[in-house]
Amino acid sequence: MKKVLAILLALVMVFAFAACGSTPAEDDGAADAAELTVGFIFIGAINDGGYTQAHYDGMKAMEDYFGGKVATKYLENVNDSDKQASLDAARNLIDQGCNVIVGCSYGFMDALDELANSGDYDDVKFLHFSGNKMNDKNFGNFFGAIEQPRYLSGMVAGSMTKSNKLGYVGAFPYTEVQIGINAFTLGAQSVNPDAEVKVVYINSWGDPEAEKAAAEQLLAEGCDIIAQHSDSTGPQLAAQDAGAYAIGYNYNNPVAADAYLTAPIWHHEKFLIPTIESILAGKWTPESYYGSMSEGYVDLAPMTDLVPADVQDKVNAVKEKMVSGEFEPFSGKIEYADGSILCEDGQTLDRGQIWAIDKLVKGAVGVN
Amino acid sequence: MNFIRVTKRDDLPVRMEVIIRLVAIVLSLIAAGIVILVFGVDPVRIFKSIIEGSLGTTLRIQQTVVKAVPLIITSLGIMVAFKMKFWNIGAEGQITMGALAATWVALFMSDSMPLFAKLLLMALASMVAGGLWAFIPAFFKAKMGTNETIFTLMMNYIAIKFVTYLQYGPWKDPNSNGFPKIAPFPENAILPSLFGVHIGWIIAIICAILIYLFMTHTKKGYEIAVVGESTETARYAGMDIGKIIIIAMFVSGGLCGLVGMIQASAIEKTLVSGIANGYGFTAIITAWLAKLNPVIIIVVCLAFSMLIQGGAYIQIAMNVPSAVSSIVQGIILFFIMGAEFFLQYKVGFRHNEAKEVA
Amino acid sequence: MQNQAIETKENNIAIEMKGISKSFGALKANNNVNLTVFDGEVHALLGENGAGKSTLMNMLSGIYTPDEGTIAIHGRSVSFSSPKDSIKLGIGMIHQHFKLVDVMTAKENIIIGQPTDFVIKGKALTKKVKELSDRYGLDIDPDKKVYEMSVGEKQTLEIIKVLFRGARILIMDEPTAVLTPQEIKKLFGVIRNMKAQGCAVVIITHKMNEVMEISDRVTVLRKGESIETVVKNEVDIPKLIEMMVGKKVDLAIHKESFPKSEPLLKMDGVTVLDAEGKSALSDINFDLYPNEIVGVAGVANSGQKELCESIAGLVKADKGRIFFEGENIVGKTPRDIIVLGIRMGFIPEDRLGMGLVGGMDIVHNLILKDYQNQPGIRLRRGPCIEKAKKIVEQLDIMTPSIYTPVKRLSGGNIQKVLLGREIDSAPKVLITAYPVRGLDIGASYKIYDLLNEQKKNGVGVLFVGEDLDVLMDLCDRIIVLCHGEITGIVNPSEVTKEDIGLLMTGHRLEQEEE
Repeated sequence: MKKVLAILLALVMVFAFAACGSTPAEDDGAADAAELTVGFIFIGAINDGGYTQAHYDGMKAMEDYFGGKVATKYLENVNDSDKQASLDAARNLIDQGCNVIVGCSYGFMDALDELANSGDYDDVKFLHFSGNKMNDKNFGNFFGAIEQPRYLSGMVAGSMTKSNKLGYVGAFPYTEVQIGINAFTLGAQSVNPDAEVKVVYINSWGDPEAEKAAAEQLLAEGCDIIAQHSDSTGPQLAAQDAGAYAIGYNYNNPVAADAYLTAPIWHHEKFLIPTIESILAGKWTPESYYGSMSEGYVDLAPMTDLVPADVQDKVNAVKEKMVSGEFEPFSGKIEYADGSILCEDGQTLDRGQIWAIDKLVKGAVGVN
Repeated sequence: MNFIRVTKRDDLPVRMEVIIRLVAIVLSLIAAGIVILVFGVDPVRIFKSIIEGSLGTTLRIQQTVVKAVPLIITSLGIMVAFKMKFWNIGAEGQITMGALAATWVALFMSDSMPLFAKLLLMALASMVAGGLWAFIPAFFKAKMGTNETIFTLMMNYIAIKFVTYLQYGPWKDPNSNGFPKIAPFPENAILPSLFGVHIGWIIAIICAILIYLFMTHTKKGYEIAVVGESTETARYAGMDIGKIIIIAMFVSGGLCGLVGMIQASAIEKTLVSGIANGYGFTAIITAWLAKLNPVIIIVVCLAFSMLIQGGAYIQIAMNVPSAVSSIVQGIILFFIMGAEFFLQYKVGFRHNEAKEVA
Repeated sequence: MQNQAIETKENNIAIEMKGISKSFGALKANNNVNLTVFDGEVHALLGENGAGKSTLMNMLSGIYTPDEGTIAIHGRSVSFSSPKDSIKLGIGMIHQHFKLVDVMTAKENIIIGQPTDFVIKGKALTKKVKELSDRYGLDIDPDKKVYEMSVGEKQTLEIIKVLFRGARILIMDEPTAVLTPQEIKKLFGVIRNMKAQGCAVVIITHKMNEVMEISDRVTVLRKGESIETVVKNEVDIPKLIEMMVGKKVDLAIHKESFPKSEPLLKMDGVTVLDAEGKSALSDINFDLYPNEIVGVAGVANSGQKELCESIAGLVKADKGRIFFEGENIVGKTPRDIIVLGIRMGFIPEDRLGMGLVGGMDIVHNLILKDYQNQPGIRLRRGPCIEKAKKIVEQLDIMTPSIYTPVKRLSGGNIQKVLLGREIDSAPKVLITAYPVRGLDIGASYKIYDLLNEQKKNGVGVLFVGEDLDVLMDLCDRIIVLCHGEITGIVNPSEVTKEDIGLLMTGHRLEQEEE
């Protein structure tokens, strides 16, 4: 016993010296010099290879752009279905000097809304990704026309499927997800009228195991390409294991190199940089930003060599039209699966109409 | 196994108790320090930051208190059951059902009702619902001798899945673009604040006082304690054990249900399936660490909340991964719980010729 | 003849323990204890509870290691680190609680844990067991399952088990505690055989009569120290007790007779079924009068528990009636009995498990029988605090304070708290189950005095006991139970211990009843 105690004491002393030796306060300085501190709340881990990493990279790119004028702080792995945790995260970031709070998941919306309107934080600006709430003093939201690259990824899938069955791992049967599924389906059908899309919802934004299980279920039902609206790379890995193809989401991350074709991706810095710039300039007013491919806010990740050149050409041709604004996914006659009409011949849906979508188009079937 | 022998301690001098606890704290700091060093951060700063982050400013204190409220009331509820040696690990479900009942009142009863009338109704509904949810396993335990541990645990999943069903089905908010969530509470169903924290903190203090009085100054509280010590003695003294189990569990579940109401009304402002958020399990630890004493429960829960709040603070302030603060919390807890083991048992090593270490 | 045996083997020292000390925390269980046992001798280790007998023997069997002192076996200095070492040297211990596997046969129990061949050689084994049994006069069926055995048979099996392992030194921890007089006789026969074969036998006991009957020499332990080793033939019982207790003790139990009046308690054909529907108590008939102590004798688990609990309302009689002062109380719960003011006290066998709450203090243990009659929901401690002070003073309970958890008290003081509470309610009927179990001699006699005092005050006392000598000295009548039936109600002055022993095993005496 005594021996053990002696060793422990020795260790304590070593650590005490080590502690004295290290120099604190170097990273404190950075925050002090900055004009603005932006706090990010992430739902996942910053290195998740998907959704959160895309946000994190956007944050880093923004920080680099301002070169010291803007400091960042962040909290990762914040549970967005736990409002207490969401509120705490925002409050703690503000407590530590953040003037701008960026909530990077749908579920943070109510917490940010509550704080923004509470009157306690009128000098703090709140930016929320993927929500629909805002006010006219300090709360704005941002999102993008991810349906554009989704349509393109649908084209890739439609061209390459042999079974004509495309699998889609969806988060929730919620408008944002349904828009994506519909765009993907329309893209696939534009090159392959026989293609149908099967959707399995996992009822979570991200859960690697559940995502993988959903993908496996779809593969078992004969799907030979797996697309996803979920945060992790689970579906891609499942597809690779089954010898099928996969289309990722959020972030260009070929972890499943034998399966990965492409992915609809986000470039959050395209929103963050101009927005922070206008906040710095004192000119910012809350807006509901909706970035498109033209601004480069959303994009299709470069297609890998697994995609035949002719398919790549075809897809790139449509992509160019999208960038130039000549083509929109939701245009022309589109029917819902139940036979009702989503879009009339010759009509192009505007943002409000797109965000009123509440079911799947013909050719797509979802199970909860 | 031949080298180590573990025997139960009966009587430990207070001085030893204090020493063991202090050693545990020191060891936990050392072990946590090692881990922090591995991550390349200065441990001393981390520990300082945890204190600073949980108590440094009014806001941080408020944050700590907000986290302590559900923990305190749940611990009190669990304590009542544990005092009876009824292992209620169903607090999660009881919280969820309490929140469900409160939500029903909040959403489906008149929006024009005065604030306090509605809140009172919500609180009552939540306590009855939580109590009933606890009553079911208690009833079967009392009448058929079922195992309450498994029973209460399973009841958690039923409650949580039922709320999930409501969230995705009948109670889904039509204004949420299909996102599976339940409509937010109207203004008259939201718990007001005092000193920057919702009045749940006052409720927690009142609950602690009431439970203290209940356990030590009422005949029922006495009966619960006797049943916990020995059911045979209770039988001998003419107690109706089944009835006592049921009443105690109703109180236990009722308190947990009230937590559901507070969390739904003050924090979520709606009902979500994750409303219980693990409080039901964390509270087992805090209730146990507090030796089932209502006053110490407040202290332990506040300390626990400090650890959580401080952990969040260091994540932002020192840019350490969230895993680090979780590890630090885990290590500190591990040692403190480990100390409890050494307080109750003594461990001796035996070698071939060496004496037994007492 | 016995003395001769000792003399011839005088030089063969089987066990020599010198200067043995052993502490558990602050408690010094053994302090400089010396013990010498010869081959071919029966050595009694005598002492009150807590005198350190078991600790000493546990060190001899390798369960504990001494802090100080030396142990030599057959002249060789040894140091045990586990019971295995001790078995190797031919030491076998028969514990008070048998360590047998219920679902296995005698044979299987014997070879369990033995290094044997992969295939158990059944026949050879049976032969060896038979050989051993014949040699020592042990009577066992090698193929009988343990759960079918009587207590005596189980003990026999334990003995064979250690002999099979080659034991030449046998230690028996209170071997007679659970046996009937007949079984004790048989056991003593076996012990004599072992002695004749040159084995050394150590018997731990606190029963004087047995010491005088079987042992050659006696070592008395008191408070962890060895007081003296004496040759049995040179001492008498009072002398041994004086050595054991440390002072002269008046061991007379005074029995007074009172004229009979109306019965307080009348048992009329009471039958109690157990969980499986078998009768644990069948057709019990007897009366309990004021001013008398009625003893209940019987082998363990003969229905004593059910008898007490059916009267106290803890179990409901399935058949029959129980009259308390003429009122049938069958179906009344303990709560009814308290609330209705039926004046009955009950000292259950399991003091801390049933009669008291071990973790609570004296005050809260007194509340146990008091709170039911308190009005309202509030718990009132006041009256019980006063009562606690009174009981502590009257019964001379040694406790740091009335707020000390009762489980911290010694056995005798625990019993006094329980008895004090029950007597305090001025009962008319007092049921006591094994009230002196585990108590030292002084404390036991204090309890007997208290019971006699109650008897004098007009209380009818039911005394369930295990020591037949005490039952015969204390009780006015003795009810003998066997398998839940009354096999006889006898007057102690008219029968012998052996008669009661026969009744205990189910033999009825010629002259039925009194």
